[in-house]
Amino acid sequence: MKGFTAALLVWSLLSLSRSSNKAWPTHTVCRDGNLEVLYQSCDPLQDFGFSVDQCSKHLKPNLNIRFGIILREDIKELFLDVALFNKGLSILNFSYPICEEDLPKFSFCGRRKGEQIYFAGPISNPGFEILQGEYQVLLELYNENHFTVACANATIICS
Amino acid sequence: MALRTSCFLLAVMFSASCKAITSSDGMCTEKEANNTYNCENLGLTEVPNTLPNTTEFLEFGFNFLPTLENTTFSRLVSLIFLDLTRCQINWVHEDTFQNHHQLNTIVLTGNPLIFMAETSLNGPKSLKHLFLIQTGISNLEFIPMHNLENLESLHLGSNHISSIKFPENFPTRNLKVLDFQNNGIHYLSSEDMHVLEQATNLSLNFNGNDIKGIEPGAFHSNIFQSLKFGGTLNLSVVLKGLQNSTTQSLWLGSYEDTDDQDLTSAMFDGLCDISVESINLQKHYISDISSATFRCFTQLQELDLTANHLNELPSGIEGMKALKKLVLNVNSFDQLCQINAASFPSLTDLSVKGNIRKLDLGAGCLERLENLQKLDLSHSDIEASDCCNLQLKNLALLQYLNLSYNEPLGLRSQAFKECPRLQGLDLAFTHLYIKGPQSPFQNLHLLQVLNLSHCLLDTSNQHFLTGLVDLRHLNLQGNHFQDRSISKTNLLQTLSSLEILILSSCDLLFIDKQAFQSLRKLSHVDLSYNSLTGNSIDALSHLQGIYLNMAANNIHIIPSHLLPTLSQQSTINLSHNPLDCTCSNIHFITWYKENLQKFEGSEDTKCANPPSLRGVKLSDVKLSCGITATGIFFLVVFLFLVAILLIFSVKFLLRWKYQHI
Repeated sequence: MKGFTAALLVWSLLSLSRSSNKAWPTHTVCRDGNLEVLYQSCDPLQDFGFSVDQCSKHLKPNLNIRFGIILREDIKELFLDVALFNKGLSILNFSYPICEEDLPKFSFCGRRKGEQIYFAGPISNPGFEILQGEYQVLLELYNENHFTVACANATIICS
Repeated sequence: MALRTSCFLLAVMFSASCKAITSSDGMCTEKEANNTYNCENLGLTEVPNTLPNTTEFLEFGFNFLPTLENTTFSRLVSLIFLDLTRCQINWVHEDTFQNHHQLNTIVLTGNPLIFMAETSLNGPKSLKHLFLIQTGISNLEFIPMHNLENLESLHLGSNHISSIKFPENFPTRNLKVLDFQNNGIHYLSSEDMHVLEQATNLSLNFNGNDIKGIEPGAFHSNIFQSLKFGGTLNLSVVLKGLQNSTTQSLWLGSYEDTDDQDLTSAMFDGLCDISVESINLQKHYISDISSATFRCFTQLQELDLTANHLNELPSGIEGMKALKKLVLNVNSFDQLCQINAASFPSLTDLSVKGNIRKLDLGAGCLERLENLQKLDLSHSDIEASDCCNLQLKNLALLQYLNLSYNEPLGLRSQAFKECPRLQGLDLAFTHLYIKGPQSPFQNLHLLQVLNLSHCLLDTSNQHFLTGLVDLRHLNLQGNHFQDRSISKTNLLQTLSSLEILILSSCDLLFIDKQAFQSLRKLSHVDLSYNSLTGNSIDALSHLQGIYLNMAANNIHIIPSHLLPTLSQQSTINLSHNPLDCTCSNIHFITWYKENLQKFEGSEDTKCANPPSLRGVKLSDVKLSCGITATGIFFLVVFLFLVAILLIFSVKFLLRWKYQHI
């Protein structure tokens, strides 16, 4: 019976580790004195890399970011959806076009499925102050056919 | 013993969990039977046996095929399209596609190619499209050129190419698209361009290459469909280098992440020696913009100045009389008059979309544009209390007007009197307020398409849509109706030419039987995302062969007297309704199963009641209601047995009674 329990334990552990393999590791975008930003890819197919050049409660406009990913879809058109939550309550939702047929804002617009993209440069964000608290952010990048290009669950902890 | 059992159990468990993994692998998705398959992201190392030999379109990206050879795809001889994106291909050996005579597209994007054999692309009779994006190519001699005579598009983006010099005999006669995006090309010489002279109407893409020099005359007398130099830091180099060339369109835009210098008027001097019809200069900043800036734009038919930080266009621009299309999206005008439209009298198409500031339409700002046919003023924060006759003064030929996504507009009767030839009008997501029984569209006898979705309309105004005698397509999505119902007399009654009607997300509870009586030409009715019940289907009884969308409503039961109305339509969507799967709905369920080909979204057409059948697809439901023949048989047998039992027990009782007397 002991052997059986051991087998059960081993099996459950193995299947547990296998299922947890599906979740991508949580990465740190930045960690500073009073601000910490973490993210995890929610695209079951792949992870991606992201970082920001500065990490401060007083977010400056036109931040420089670094972003690396393999495209699984063409991005002639690319849109970003952001949903911000605090304690489970929705605070803010918005959608922003990054690449459009008549306005490709960034040099990577129009690149093809299968291409590896590395972007290091400014994004045209407005500057604002992050209020104290813990926030959950769901970010989704998708193309004109609504196919996911990237998906991230992020946590912002501001103390 | 215990040890042995546990070992056995362990073995069983491991094999079980392993089996679960392999079974989930190797399952390609069938998009079209025997023809189109998607096998992406499956970690495959070979073509699965499940794929039929007749497969024509195969998406095989993100698998593992280090070597391609003539056995790899030998079974699939009918292939037309083959996508091998990111399959970690290193080698493409001899005669890989030898038997694939019909193959017309090969995608090798994102593979770390080490070598392609001389004959690796031989076989296809007419190979038209070849994608070699991000395959590490640094020299164009890498591409095996033996079977490329029919090539129409060659994609070489994101490689390490620094020279576009093709081998001398490279076939370019049929080439229409040549894409060199994001390479390291800095210099274009006449010799480089020589091989491309055979191609006519070529589209050449140099976006993301910082061109620092072009040999004078390199593009001399070539004819191009389009030339793209997006993100190039020094525009005057490009314009000088294109001397004496002819191209339909020239894309010279910049991006948010390229640090380009401000443009000066002098930089455009090179344009005087180029024959070009259409230019895009998006995201540039012209520091000294004046009428002289456009000195060399005289031949131009289309000009795109999207996001050029403009707050006005200079007045008195001479010589742009030929311009047909002008795009001024995402700029910072305060008033429409600041575009000084009088400089472009031939304009047929004008777009001032997504203006960064609140745009004041002013009065008669476009009155000199007598030929204007298309005007896009959407997303520009436009607000007007009395629109639009003063604002659109003298636009007598206007056919298409887009005022969607703006601030509230006040409309009165005949609000578009100045543009009587309008055929399409888009007012979606712009709040319209209309006082009393006015008819703002009254004189629009030619209007065919009207989008009024989410306009917060007062739908009780019976005269609102009068005058639209030719209207074919009406979108009223997201508007609300009095008492949440469409009554017998309603604003749609005058629209006798209407073919497409969209009333989704209007919060409707009920539609009167006679509500659509005068709409005899309807062919497409969208009533999805309301709270309608089955009874509202009665309003469509006079229509035949229509597309009817009633998805996401509140339909439980469809009474049998409504089935003929449904029968006469061509396509019906009843998905996401709380359908009843009890015997009270048996007529509909039986009819549904017989007419499955009529239904759209049958995957999501499911039962909500009874609880035991919740979530079951309607097509899978088996109901037996009433008494069937077998039921009758068993009932008769049962009654017969009961009768016999009764007789015997009476007999026994009597015998027992007599014996005991």
